[in-house]
Amino acid sequence: MSKLTTGSFSIEDLESVQITINNIVGAAKEAAEAEEIGPMGPTPFPGLASYRDDWNLVLLDRYEPVITPMCDQCCYCTYGPCDLSNNKRGACGIDMAGHNGREFFLRVITGTACHAAHGRHLLDHLIETFGEDVPLDLGQSNVLTPNITITTGLSPKTLGELKPAMEHTEEQLTQLLATVHAGQESSEIDYDSKALFSGSLDHVGMEISDIVQIAALDFPKADPEAPLVEIGMGTIDKEKPFLCVIGHNVAGVTYMMDYMEENDLTDKMEIAGLCCTAIDLTRYKEADRRPPYAKVIGSMSKELKIIRSGMPDVIVVDEQCVRGDIVPEAQKLKIPVIASNAKIMYGLPNRDNQDVDATIEELKSGAIPGCVILDNEKLGELTIRLTQEMHPIRKAEGFREIPSDEQLKEWVDKCADCGACYLACPIELDIPEAMKFAKEGDYSYLEDLHDACVGCRRCEQVCKKEIPILSVIEKASQKLIAEEKGWMRAGRGQVSDAEIRAEGLNLVMGTTPGIIAIIGCPNYIGGSKDVYYIAEEFLKRNYIVAVTGCGAMDIGMYKDEDGKTLYEKYPGGFECGGLLNNGSCVSNAHITGAAEKVAGIFASRTMEGNLAEIADYTLSRVGACGLAWGAFSQKASSIGTGCNILGIPAVLGAHSSKYRRALIAKTYDESKWKVYDARNGEEMPIPPAPEFLLTTAETWQEAIPMMAKACIRPSDNSMGRSIKLTHWMELHEKYLGERPKDWWKFIRNEADLPLAKRADLLKVLEADHGWEIDWKKKKIISGPKIKFDVSAQPTNLKRLCKEA
Amino acid sequence: MVDTTKNTKLFTSYGVTTSKAINPDMAAKMISKAKRPLFVVGTGVLQPELLDRAVKIAKKANLPIAATGSSLPGFLDKDVDASYINLHQLGFYLTDPKWPGLDEKGNYDMVIVLGFKKYYINQVLSGTKNFSSVKAISIGRDYIQNATMSFGNISKEDNYAALDELIENL
Ligand code: SF4
Ligand code: SF4
Ligand code: SF4
Repeated sequence: MSKLTTGSFSIEDLESVQITINNIVGAAKEAAEAEEIGPMGPTPFPGLASYRDDWNLVLLDRYEPVITPMCDQCCYCTYGPCDLSNNKRGACGIDMAGHNGREFFLRVITGTACHAAHGRHLLDHLIETFGEDVPLDLGQSNVLTPNITITTGLSPKTLGELKPAMEHTEEQLTQLLATVHAGQESSEIDYDSKALFSGSLDHVGMEISDIVQIAALDFPKADPEAPLVEIGMGTIDKEKPFLCVIGHNVAGVTYMMDYMEENDLTDKMEIAGLCCTAIDLTRYKEADRRPPYAKVIGSMSKELKIIRSGMPDVIVVDEQCVRGDIVPEAQKLKIPVIASNAKIMYGLPNRDNQDVDATIEELKSGAIPGCVILDNEKLGELTIRLTQEMHPIRKAEGFREIPSDEQLKEWVDKCADCGACYLACPIELDIPEAMKFAKEGDYSYLEDLHDACVGCRRCEQVCKKEIPILSVIEKASQKLIAEEKGWMRAGRGQVSDAEIRAEGLNLVMGTTPGIIAIIGCPNYIGGSKDVYYIAEEFLKRNYIVAVTGCGAMDIGMYKDEDGKTLYEKYPGGFECGGLLNNGSCVSNAHITGAAEKVAGIFASRTMEGNLAEIADYTLSRVGACGLAWGAFSQKASSIGTGCNILGIPAVLGAHSSKYRRALIAKTYDESKWKVYDARNGEEMPIPPAPEFLLTTAETWQEAIPMMAKACIRPSDNSMGRSIKLTHWMELHEKYLGERPKDWWKFIRNEADLPLAKRADLLKVLEADHGWEIDWKKKKIISGPKIKFDVSAQPTNLKRLCKEA
Repeated sequence: MVDTTKNTKLFTSYGVTTSKAINPDMAAKMISKAKRPLFVVGTGVLQPELLDRAVKIAKKANLPIAATGSSLPGFLDKDVDASYINLHQLGFYLTDPKWPGLDEKGNYDMVIVLGFKKYYINQVLSGTKNFSSVKAISIGRDYIQNATMSFGNISKEDNYAALDELIENL
């Protein structure tokens, strides 16, 4: 019977009994495997150990886990708490390194679970609504599911055919979660290997989440011309009723938008969002480019700010990256909160079984602060009607007004200059100093804090004078906020096969110096303009800049002297100098997918069940580097770790050091910088590049040269090496004041040298490093440790070598 | 004399070990006694009041500078021995006895840190604290739990005064 995946049968003697089989767990995978044809790599449907010896330990040998514990103790079980300082072992036997490996790993599987659960929710919902046979029409692509394909070996073509990949991810997540239990895994290196595996699954879960919505909800399909949408707190028309949605799952929002459209309300009210739901609602039904009307407020850091502004008339939350205090905060301003996803129910009463009129009355009267509605049809009608009805009520009662100038002064005057807020603020904003100037009538210091402030409220929690500090900052920044208006390109979805074919050669040759992927949350070091500066610098230099999520939003918030955002200035294609917004966080799978497609389509590598080989290709040949500048959520650690296993290094902001782990190579240890030449299996030395898979930077100015350097790859040809070195050395000089000290390590022959400085650099090589130069021919005679051989095929995988 | 040992409220890390709060004269003594000290400065040091004092410290105690983040430009014309290195990378290399150091002469036995976001330096030092014998002295305005010794949480002005005292005592 296990071969039966769907169908129904009756038991004859019991005529009224009919059993319907929708799916048997495992059977779908079995059926999929039986159908498998064509080439297949060694690891279809991988388990906990599948990538370990062949790939993960190879990576972790060069890129060593750097452990920076958050706490000396382990408080995990009842033997403890145990003091693990100085790498001591706890009562269960685990040491500090192992425990911290476990702690980081736990973050990674949490993130993976968020995306996988999101994918499962959308997949089931969309299959129920539209059926299993909806084709995965994602634009001009034959390789529709790069992450699913390299992981499972499958190439699904319809919604229904995604089920085995979904099941596989869920099954492996359970296996992974089990290893967190005290008394299971204790080896730090194995937790890291498992974290890498989880990261790869994360990109499967994200891929499923995004492709099902592209296919079924008519999102832009690999579309470089996806429409521009409005972004920023200042874009909301305060005169209109305003429905504010927060979270990451667009399912419920589509019903609200449908209701608005059916009732001709799109220009009579505002619908705008925060976090990824916001990005995805601006993608809904945009494949045919209807005029966009939904807006984006911004990232999670704006959640409390927008509530405190009093503007929203109703708030709907779905899942992930949603604050835990939205109900009490909203209640103060009489904003009803509707929870639309079973993952966040906030203790609110469920009103699924009550008619919409009665629920609207309950909410309007304030009898309940909000409710849970999981029935999407009801949700669509209720939220839109409620928004319109709440608007005049809240306006009449003065709730849509921000605090008065007098109130602001009163608050500021209360400050005792105790400094507690400075100590608590995670961004280390000097609030006491700003308060001091405000007392003297100069509010500009408070205004300066707005951009960097992530709206966390930690300052308010410690203020003994009970000053609502966040509201003080926001009130003082009203003018700035009103001007917060920008443009963002609605998420375009995947990179098409055609784009990969056209750009693959440039990337591998180095004429396009690299792909810079700017992703992730808003917990920045300096303020939200950091990512704008980084994107602009790389775009000007013809890198491909791919963005998603909150990073994509923040980049669109700023304009140049001519009033143009980067999205207006640069093309949206996967091309040299292109700025592609792939979409929400789950669209990060398209960024790794693009790198995989370069190996699969451009270099004709087998993708099916062949993760290690594809990742090895990227690490050796495709200059790509991620930036998760404000990584705050656990999902950021799973996304980043997924990039790492796929051979893509990532730079994180300083806050991310709190994730307790980095992967950094010892540049000075020559034994780490060797690969095999696949032609004959001989060892060949390589330069120390990339020198990390995961690390943090202190400022955006430091991050830029780090990322340019991380795009250098062992198999660059001379032209590519010389272009990449030119950018890196110029950027290093521009931001760090001098030529990098180790540039010479990357030189294999004179053709590698940056063209404009060739003669000058040859002199340095001769004088400082003792290299022999033939000055007549301007050639290097001897000196480089690394030979350059155009036809060498560097690989980290011995099994790919001819003689192996 | 500024008492830099008072306010030792923690910001991020927690657990059983916390750094010893010290006064500037004690810090100066420790720095003078170190065999192979390294002065690690972050981007915050570019504030003129700090930069000026950082240069004086480096000169007076003859300390090589690891300029992390984007702090190096501040030291280029100051006649000090400063090199750029990423802080996280430095933190990791400090835990490896085989690291040749910035000058190829071997690893360090003490780092003196100044000019960082407290959460960042604290986090990086949690690695050196638990996985090496390198001592860390924090002389900024924040109490850094994972240093071996640190000033307490003090005002900017007190920090400047404390640094002046430290310079005098070197
Ligand atoms: S899991 Fe181990 S180290 Fe942690 S508290 Fe329990 S006994 Fe101690
Ligand atoms: S709300 Fe803003 S100012 Fe207050 S602690 Fe958080 S980041 Fe700092
Ligand atoms: S905690 Fe409150 S009273 Fe103390 S400095 Fe900050 S705002 Fe002023």
